[in-house]
Amino acid sequence: MPVAREIITPKNDKLNVSRNLRLPHSPGIRAGDLIFLSGMLSVDPLTGERSQGTVAHETRQTLSNMRHLLESAGSSLERVVKINVLLYDMLEFDNMNAVFREFFPAAPPARTTCGVQLSAGMKIEIECIALAG
Amino acid sequence: MAAGYGWAQSAAIRAGNYLFVSGVVAIDSESGERLNGTVTSEAHVVFRNLKLVLESAGTSLERLVHVRAMIYDRIEYDALNRVYRQYLPEGPPARTVWSVQIIDAFKVQLDAIAVI
Repeated sequence: MPVAREIITPKNDKLNVSRNLRLPHSPGIRAGDLIFLSGMLSVDPLTGERSQGTVAHETRQTLSNMRHLLESAGSSLERVVKINVLLYDMLEFDNMNAVFREFFPAAPPARTTCGVQLSAGMKIEIECIALAG
Repeated sequence: MAAGYGWAQSAAIRAGNYLFVSGVVAIDSESGERLNGTVTSEAHVVFRNLKLVLESAGTSLERLVHVRAMIYDRIEYDALNRVYRQYLPEGPPARTVWSVQIIDAFKVQLDAIAVI
């Protein structure tokens, strides 16, 4: 019996970036006991537009959107097991980390942070794997 | 595929219902020759190789759940997407695109997780 593979989407359509921008990925996939999310950027949940700002602002908006997507699929930030943070400049690590701590105050997930080139002038992108349900 | 290169990695590892695939690059699956080229030409080879690895393990491109698509320069994002759509037209996996330096001057590398 093969494991079910199911696309997950945010309840708020404005945050369905891959569909709205016709990009060839899904917001997330639930497969077996795990949920795999695509890399997420800072997007305004009211307009669906990119919400650029400081690393602190973009981190807060991105993790807030990640929480919405996970909760739309019956999971939560507390169920995240691995998270990867892509930053435009590692000099900003502490600015990301301070906000990150607000979202994961206790028993935070395993995490890797890298400095990489990002699209469209965004400063941060975050992807994760979480336990389903 | 990359067996002769001395890279200390397996093509993929099955663990439970998941298959974790090593980064796939544009290597000729018959001769092992490096097929360095454009993002477009490399991406076609990479997808064919990824398909071979997945099918050898009893799964398929349609069963991918997550892909980390690596390109050598962010400016090639749309070039990657054009090829990507041809191989994953419906219900594509979750994905993050990382712009990084790739081994042996390759321009594309896909690292993937699938369900069996």
